[in-house]
Amino acid sequence: MFSKHLSLKITQWLDKRIPPATDVSLHRRNIFIFPSRFGFLFLVLCVALFILGTNYQNNLILILAFFLLGLFLVSLFNSYLNFSGLRIVIGKVGYPFAGDSANVPLWIETTTKKQTAHGRLHIALYGKNVQLSVDLDRLTNPVDVAVPTSSRGPQAIPRITLSSFYPLGLFRCWTHLQFASTILVYPSPHPCSVVTYDESGEENQEGPVSDQQGHDDFHSLTEYQPGQPLYHVAWKQVAKGQGMISKKFSGSSEREIWLRLTTSSGPQREADLSRLCFMVLELDSQGYRFGLELGDTLVPPAQGNHHRHQCLKALALYGFSEVSHE
Amino acid sequence: MNRLNPSAYNHAHLLLTLVLCASSFTLFTPLQTWILILVGCAGIIRISLFLNWQKHQISVRTINLLAILSAIVLATFGWQLGLLLGMLNLLALACSLKLMLLANRRDYFQLIGIQFFLIGTGLVFNQSILFSLLYGMLTLMLLLSLAFHISPSTSWRAQTMRIAKMSLQALPLCLMLFLIIPKLGPMWQMPVGKGSETGLSDKVTPGDLAQLARSSELAFRVSFEQQVPAMNQRYWRALVLEEFDGKTWQTAPYRDTLRRRYQRTNNRFNPAVSGPRIDYQVLSEPSQKPWLFGLDVAISHDSKIWQGREYQLLSRFPLQSGIAYKVSSYTQSPLLPDIEVLDRRLNLQLPESGNPRTRQWVKALREQHKTEGELIKAVSEYFIQQDFRYTLNPNPMPVDPVDQFLFEEQAGFCAHYAGAMTYALRLAGIPARMVTGYLGGEMRGDAYMSIYQYDAHAWVEWLSEDGWKRLDPTALVSPLRLDFGLQQAVAYEDSFLADSPLRRLQQFAWVNEFRMLLDDMDYLWSKWILGFNRDNQEDVLKALLGELSTLRLTIAGLALVAITAILLALYHYKHWLVLAKKTPAYYYARSLKLLDDNGITRPHWMGPEDFSKQVQQSMSTDISHIFEHITGCYLQSCYARGGNTKTQGLNQRMRTLLNQLKQGLKKKKSSVRDAQRIDNIS
Repeated sequence: MFSKHLSLKITQWLDKRIPPATDVSLHRRNIFIFPSRFGFLFLVLCVALFILGTNYQNNLILILAFFLLGLFLVSLFNSYLNFSGLRIVIGKVGYPFAGDSANVPLWIETTTKKQTAHGRLHIALYGKNVQLSVDLDRLTNPVDVAVPTSSRGPQAIPRITLSSFYPLGLFRCWTHLQFASTILVYPSPHPCSVVTYDESGEENQEGPVSDQQGHDDFHSLTEYQPGQPLYHVAWKQVAKGQGMISKKFSGSSEREIWLRLTTSSGPQREADLSRLCFMVLELDSQGYRFGLELGDTLVPPAQGNHHRHQCLKALALYGFSEVSHE
Repeated sequence: MNRLNPSAYNHAHLLLTLVLCASSFTLFTPLQTWILILVGCAGIIRISLFLNWQKHQISVRTINLLAILSAIVLATFGWQLGLLLGMLNLLALACSLKLMLLANRRDYFQLIGIQFFLIGTGLVFNQSILFSLLYGMLTLMLLLSLAFHISPSTSWRAQTMRIAKMSLQALPLCLMLFLIIPKLGPMWQMPVGKGSETGLSDKVTPGDLAQLARSSELAFRVSFEQQVPAMNQRYWRALVLEEFDGKTWQTAPYRDTLRRRYQRTNNRFNPAVSGPRIDYQVLSEPSQKPWLFGLDVAISHDSKIWQGREYQLLSRFPLQSGIAYKVSSYTQSPLLPDIEVLDRRLNLQLPESGNPRTRQWVKALREQHKTEGELIKAVSEYFIQQDFRYTLNPNPMPVDPVDQFLFEEQAGFCAHYAGAMTYALRLAGIPARMVTGYLGGEMRGDAYMSIYQYDAHAWVEWLSEDGWKRLDPTALVSPLRLDFGLQQAVAYEDSFLADSPLRRLQQFAWVNEFRMLLDDMDYLWSKWILGFNRDNQEDVLKALLGELSTLRLTIAGLALVAITAILLALYHYKHWLVLAKKTPAYYYARSLKLLDDNGITRPHWMGPEDFSKQVQQSMSTDISHIFEHITGCYLQSCYARGGNTKTQGLNQRMRTLLNQLKQGLKKKKSSVRDAQRIDNIS
């Protein structure tokens, strides 16, 4: 109970101290520094050497103890200065399906006007174990942080903890960064049979039947949309150097098919959304032109990657009154 | 179970291994040989893992078995080593096993910690300059290992530079702490290692000292503040031996009990002194023994030093490391017994039987010579008349040694003479005792005097009406020993330092000169580093601050803190300094400010070139032209390749351009004002 309260307090304090941002330079206000476990061992060692030196009246041991103590202090500054040279920018977050983990790409800039940061950087989600360690001297940007998701909808990126033990492992420098960006989680696709509706609202249990597709009836040439099946590409024209052009078939343009959410509330709804997600993916992969109807939200029939994203986004956001993602 | 290899091409582990091996082998004497072998094995295992010859770690079970066996061996053989050596051996053993086991971060950090401690322990045993440098290097190597552990992909060069920089930054802090933190006395008695047994002992069997005289090791150094006493007056008292069992002289057990009682009640001995005084400082080498050295009636006010009632100086703790102390000697002051009855009783003690011929001889002498002076003279004359010989190679005399020495061998070292003389005096009813210490010493310029183990000497003291009197029978036989030292005294038999050929090379002038130079360095090292004590600390602080008052100390402390803070701030805000250093950026900023004052402000989103164009449109050509130049210079400094090399010239040009701009704007302002005035007039 008490610890819960405490952690809440800490979170509130962190929110005030390190507000969300997309581009963070580490500096005095967002860096924490404390001796590591080895740092404490080192201090104990210094005391032990001091006692040894005093008891044997041995100045050399005393000098060693003082030197190590001096090094401890120097290390404090070096550690801080090194860590404060970092700048972290969040990249474009991917769209995971519920239950998968989202890739949050972090672009880490190690060189500032003042210096270049070195050493290993340990990355973890706030309160979790270290997920990955990167060597700043051999860095390849971006660094992908996996954020697990559980349910559909917009989800805030949890605080990401970056820590470094540079230069001697005596101090741990760390920061808990909050990025002003959300992850849009699609519903997890649930395999089922595809149920579509035509314009008149008539249910079609078997799904779009093959003769309705009219793949053979060539209609016209259009600009290729990313996501369209490659077998629609008019390769002859492409070979002539006219750019990516795809064939449009009469069947797919004339007959519009719709996906529709039948239940609007209750526990059944999530399962239906999962099924719809599967159907969207299925129809999209087969190159159909389809629309989506979710209560008040309508996604007009279209094709391609963008359309798929629109549909999945509508599914993800259904029931969330928040401002839509992007 | 085989485990994967965490050490392959891991420089951190390699350095750690090297340091462990090196620091263990510097502890060659205190460590047992089998432990050294174990350390070597661990080193080889780790290095082959590093080179990836060996791909798998030894299994934990094997190491556990090894650990149990080693522990049994150490427990069996180690218990007689004493606490310090036992612990040291255990530490080295644990290190070697841990090194074999080393797998994860935790092992590594523990090992690093123990390594630092092992280096500290090494300094208990070895304190010379060379060893200190070696240990310093090992410390840096450990730091380097740590640095590699934290950032493994940095180059050796960069890593070394980084550690060197940090060490240099830490050094002033270290010195400051060393100067400021008060020197404390030992908090508790530490176990003493049985180091190499050179030096005086509290038990002397004649012949022992001859062994000691074969050592050219340094015993102690002295720096005199005024004149140096003559060679034959430099009798450095160390130990007073009052108990004789027929063969061996040793300190009287009753004296020890008495001293402990006095020490417990802190009842210090303050002998009455008079006459001229000699002040000097003694820098003693570590001897693992408590006794110290002083001339005649030596008084020291150092709290670490106990003044014995038999006129001997003792350290409160055995000298595990060198010690420096100040002494005042009163050479003409009599050595009055503290409790005369006690001194008399102790120094008439005799073994019940043995040495019958000496007993008879003394009995006969006593009948002829009634007074003490006459008797002593008679005994002395016996030494002179008979053909006694001073030698470093006396024959062993196992049975009735005094008889054998006086009437058969008639050749011996100083302890033989002193022992025989003391015994004879006691037989004659004169309280007498043997004193051991050093005689002479080699002067190095005016700076200091070195006393070596081969200067060890023994002589006699007898109790007269006015205190204890010194009597040196060796002087009767070999006056050379007194005036020119041992080397001259035994020159005839070529036995001086027969065991150390290197030292015998000192007959060559340049070798000797070189040795002296090394000695000088060693002296400074012992005086300022090893022997730096509370007195020195106060002296240094006084020299820096003047009289030590609380106020001054406080101010000095605060000033130190302030200076450190300022330095840190400067270091931290380097980029301010850079701006103040007048870079092209600075001049450009100045020119922008000037234009801003004149009504043209650069919007934050506008690039320099665009702004220059805007200036062209709104300003007269002479001004906009200058500004165009300034912008050009600024852009060149920002984007030109290898821009830093030319900044000097660029700065120069920008400064003149800025001045021109300033003047141009001023002129424009005044002309505008003139125009307004003309307008007003018209």
